[in-house]
Amino acid sequence: MFPIVLLSVFAVVLLFLGFLKSRSVLLPATLLFLVAALVANFLDWNKTYLYFNSMLRTDNLSMVFTAIVLLSSFLVVALSGSFEDDEAAQPAEYYAIILFSLVGAIMMIGYENLVMLFVGVEILSVAMYILTGSDKRNLRSNEAALKYFLMGAFATGIMLFGMALLYGASGSFTLAGIASYASHAQQGLSLIFYVGLLMLLVGLLFKVSAAPFHFWTPDVYDGAPTIFTAYMSTVVKTAGFAALLHLLAASFTYVYSFWGIILAVVTAITLIAGNVTAVYQNSFKRMMAYSSISHAGYLLIGLAALSAQSRQAIVFYSLAYSIATISAFGVLMLVTRQRGMQTLSSNPLSNESFDAFNGLAKQNPLLGLAMATSMLSLAGIPLTAGFWGKFYMFSTAVERGQIWLLVVAVLMSAVGIYYYFRVIIAMYFRDGATEPIRISPVFRYVLVAAIILTIGLGVAPGLLQGLF
Amino acid sequence: MTEFLAFFKTLTPTGYLFLLLTALTVISAMGVVTARNPIYSVLALIATFFCLSGHYILLNAQFLAAVNIIVYAGAIMVLFLFTIMFLNLRREDEEAKTNLTKIASVIVGGTLMVMLIMIFRAKSSQLPVGSTVGFEPNTGMVENLGHLLYGSYILPFELASVLFLIAMVGAVMLGKREAGDRHF
Amino acid sequence: MQIGLLCALIPLLPLLGFVINGVGFRRVPTGLVGGIATLAVLASFLIVVSLFMSFPAEGGPQIVPLFDWISVGDLHIPFSFQIDQLSLLMLLVVTGVGTLIHLYSIGYMHHDEGFGKFMAFLNLFIFFMLLLVMGANYVIMFIGWEGVGLCSYLLIGFWNKNVSYNNAARKAFVMNRIGDLGFLLGIFTIINTFGTVEYVDVFKQATSLPMGDTTVLVIALLLFVGAMGKSAQVPLYTWLPDAMAGPTPVSALIHAATMVTAGIYMVVRSNVLYTLAPQALEVVGIIAIITALLAASIGLLQNDIKKVLAYSTVSQLGYMFLGLSATAYTAGMFHVITHAFFKALLFLGAGSVIHAMSNEQDIRKMGGLRKALPVTFITFAIGTWAISGLPPFAGFFSKDEILAHVFEHSKVLWALGVLGSGLTSFYMFRLLFLTFFGEFRGTAEQKHHLHESPATMTIPLIILAILSAVGGALNLPGGGWLSHFLEPIFEGSRQVNPEAFAESTIEHSTEYVLMAVSAGVALLALIAAYVMYISRKAVPASDEADRSMPEQVIYNKYYVDELYEAAIVRPIRSMGDTFYSFGEFAVDGLVNGVAWLVKQSSAQLRRLQSGSIGFYVFAMVLSIVLIFALRFFIRF
Repeated sequence: MFPIVLLSVFAVVLLFLGFLKSRSVLLPATLLFLVAALVANFLDWNKTYLYFNSMLRTDNLSMVFTAIVLLSSFLVVALSGSFEDDEAAQPAEYYAIILFSLVGAIMMIGYENLVMLFVGVEILSVAMYILTGSDKRNLRSNEAALKYFLMGAFATGIMLFGMALLYGASGSFTLAGIASYASHAQQGLSLIFYVGLLMLLVGLLFKVSAAPFHFWTPDVYDGAPTIFTAYMSTVVKTAGFAALLHLLAASFTYVYSFWGIILAVVTAITLIAGNVTAVYQNSFKRMMAYSSISHAGYLLIGLAALSAQSRQAIVFYSLAYSIATISAFGVLMLVTRQRGMQTLSSNPLSNESFDAFNGLAKQNPLLGLAMATSMLSLAGIPLTAGFWGKFYMFSTAVERGQIWLLVVAVLMSAVGIYYYFRVIIAMYFRDGATEPIRISPVFRYVLVAAIILTIGLGVAPGLLQGLF
Repeated sequence: MTEFLAFFKTLTPTGYLFLLLTALTVISAMGVVTARNPIYSVLALIATFFCLSGHYILLNAQFLAAVNIIVYAGAIMVLFLFTIMFLNLRREDEEAKTNLTKIASVIVGGTLMVMLIMIFRAKSSQLPVGSTVGFEPNTGMVENLGHLLYGSYILPFELASVLFLIAMVGAVMLGKREAGDRHF
Repeated sequence: MQIGLLCALIPLLPLLGFVINGVGFRRVPTGLVGGIATLAVLASFLIVVSLFMSFPAEGGPQIVPLFDWISVGDLHIPFSFQIDQLSLLMLLVVTGVGTLIHLYSIGYMHHDEGFGKFMAFLNLFIFFMLLLVMGANYVIMFIGWEGVGLCSYLLIGFWNKNVSYNNAARKAFVMNRIGDLGFLLGIFTIINTFGTVEYVDVFKQATSLPMGDTTVLVIALLLFVGAMGKSAQVPLYTWLPDAMAGPTPVSALIHAATMVTAGIYMVVRSNVLYTLAPQALEVVGIIAIITALLAASIGLLQNDIKKVLAYSTVSQLGYMFLGLSATAYTAGMFHVITHAFFKALLFLGAGSVIHAMSNEQDIRKMGGLRKALPVTFITFAIGTWAISGLPPFAGFFSKDEILAHVFEHSKVLWALGVLGSGLTSFYMFRLLFLTFFGEFRGTAEQKHHLHESPATMTIPLIILAILSAVGGALNLPGGGWLSHFLEPIFEGSRQVNPEAFAESTIEHSTEYVLMAVSAGVALLALIAAYVMYISRKAVPASDEADRSMPEQVIYNKYYVDELYEAAIVRPIRSMGDTFYSFGEFAVDGLVNGVAWLVKQSSAQLRRLQSGSIGFYVFAMVLSIVLIFALRFFIRF
């Protein structure tokens, strides 16, 4: 609750700070605000509250998710480097929109009422449409924003229809009310209820880019400015999965037999579509887009199984995934910028290809290390956080007895290793004419922090488990 | 046929009104999608909104009906029309879609519609009909709505303002003229 | 102060030192590097001492949980330290000797351009060694185990411009991996059998098992394979002599005093399991005596000062295991401690000699150094006296205790042990005499350059010499302090096999006779060495000289390296070649086929990504239709 209030106020303050001549105050201010929100988030630690007539819930799980979201945005904002090299950028607005969108994300994490979920999803989505199109002079950015908007509106329509049907069947918008209706599953529920559930699921699955509702993802992630791609692929995904987890666990456990198989099939398709398509990509950024689809698949395993371990598995996985993704995109931004200056080619496609990483590690050991760590983590190699994330996910599937899904997931993570290692090979074993890249101190701290977190969680995964 | 007629005989005037409005809504909504000229499209959309407002009135939600007309039919549609006129979309852009995709879309969409109708008409999806005895006729009035919005729904209601603020900031940000942009 | 914080600080301080020197390599001023590294270890040592002082005499193990580390299903592995008599003793040795060697390294290495890196690695090594010793379960021990292996690899190959040094490093790495595999399998078997890896729980459960349990035998043997690799026992010992390629302080710290004794520590730690598996102990005993004799005999004819010490280390490690095999765990630990003192002393003394001789290591080119290096000479002589098992220095007591227990156990092993002790005495005094007595045989330039080492190097020598001299007092015959102190550790073993821990059956008179015999043999060997190398002034022949057949065999270290090359490396390589040419076809075909399939499907899937919103929406609606059909219209 506290972060919502603080972030709303801070975002408005940021808009006013935008009037100042100097842009340099914006970045530290935003980081400060995020830290304040993070601290405020933990004020309710170990207590469970329902706020405003059971609209919003805070408990340890929601606080941990909120913390992940805030931490991710902190890292992303820190990497944005005040947009100092871009005259046309409007950092005050960007940061304000990010803070506003976090309000939506937190609503999605802590909602107890479908109305809250809807408003939260919309806040987050609208913010993302805008940020995707924020590179106004870039046609690809415009196109991506438009596509995202149209598809998103469509998905929102479906989701809203689903909510309406759920309300019609159960007579309640609250999760508790829906759950009490669903608890009569033995006596038979109205089919309208099931249709509503499916449509709501489809809408949310679209937001987390699960196949076959993922088609927008590569185009949008590719077209959006890299920094916002990093934001989208972490914060939106974490919030989306927190929303799905809460929805399914709180309201629909009684009808697991109805949606479990659907979700399992969607999981398998997502894993295959994401991983297999990523193999063929030549652009690193596009590869990361497909990789984010595949990670949505891994996260879905925990939902499709919905066992006792699922919460912990999803929390751990989203954290590991967010950190690795952000640092990978951070390195990509540096490399792209450098290549852009070197070759004087404004064609971003060649600057974001795998070849752009050739020989990176020799001249820039820190960048090489950061990238290698995050790739290893995304690939799920032991001693990185990603390994334990996958491990927990897979063990939820085992607990549910979904062995076929497990087999698909393991095969697909083997495919994943192929394209993640392409980057590592390019960085360490290819020769390239890269010169040392100047890394600003903030950037350096973020990358080092990401490396430490990834390895630290990989060596001692129990650290996080103790939290809740 | 007799069944059909019998059904019509049982209807109250509200029922007739409902059927009429529904037919109009569906027709005008299809007009939105099929019209070649964007202006016609927008006009059909306005008609759709009016029909929807009619539905709201039938559902005893007078305030919602009024707001729907004011906001959508009034403000938003005017904005749409302005935009379309500014953009000068008079020439009919050639559609890139082949017949195959059209047919496929129609089949899939039609299947979805048929499926939904079948599901909703199935016996197991019927809901118990609520009794009209305790019905409060003022439910849809401003006062009750206000109590609800500022009572139990105060949080989402207030937070919706964040949504609008984002949209505003975004619109200003994306729409702000930059050096070198052309003037309208 | 809180005990948990103190325990956490012990390994953290060296880690901090590593981070400072490692991150700040070439930035931290050279003068500070050594100070930081040494102080970090010294501080740990002081903490250990304070813990040791406050530790209750008869107290049970104190478990210090730091955080939940791994929990998978029912298996919970916390990250916790265990402080008890055994780990305290090892901690004292590791940090104490470690401090001295750090101090020594300042003098020995400060000219080297990689000085900062070197000190950082040493700190890192201490960190992992402390983890190994302090961990409260096998998994933490394994992490430390792997960590010290890594540091050993890094430090052996520290002068990595030399190819043969790199090869030595690699050899050490590979041989240790073989052992680690055994250790790892042992841990898995433990998890499988007991469902936990915590020492306390494992041993508590183990005490209820019957003697000679097969699973325990398997575990004990697998763990011993790990110990064989780390503690250089036959057949995995050849890496240790080669490891002398590293800088001398490394040889002293890692390859003499601490890391190589990890295997003994592990066996003593798991003493309950070994007591339960007498067959495993017999295997240990046989391997130990073979190692002790084999290494000692090779040592007789080595001419490289460090190689002689290396083989003597292997041989001494054999003695320690010999003691363990007779369930004389205390005696084994006692020898670990005294060995740490005198072997570190000998290596550091050798380092001082090498330093003075401008990196000359061949004893044939030395001689008469006692005048030029008085401190080194005296300390080295004390070390030699101690290792040879001559009274009244430390080695005499520890070795005799082992031999006394072995005598009780098996007379044959005892006789062989005494023989080995004679050999030890001979080659050590040979080394001493050739190096410090007689005429100087090096070049004139070297002679001109001869100098005593700086104080940072001699002070550790003197301290270690004192410890080597009086270290025997820790456990005087007839129930010394150490055996009393360590008693709680062997409570479990005593419970499962009271006989093995019964009061010694040999009478005191017999015991004195045994002592006299072994001391006499050592003394005889000393006299023999004196006669050969001082009276007759014999100097070992050069490499090319003709040798008699047995001499030739020993000189070439029994051709073990060549044997391994011929019997293991080459067949594996040719097998690899065969598999390669065969597998190239089959495996590559399979792999490439799968890769091709993935790529093709990827190319097809990619086409779906057409970029047209119409198609995307179409796909979405189609999927919704399919889901509805699946859930509402198709029964299955």
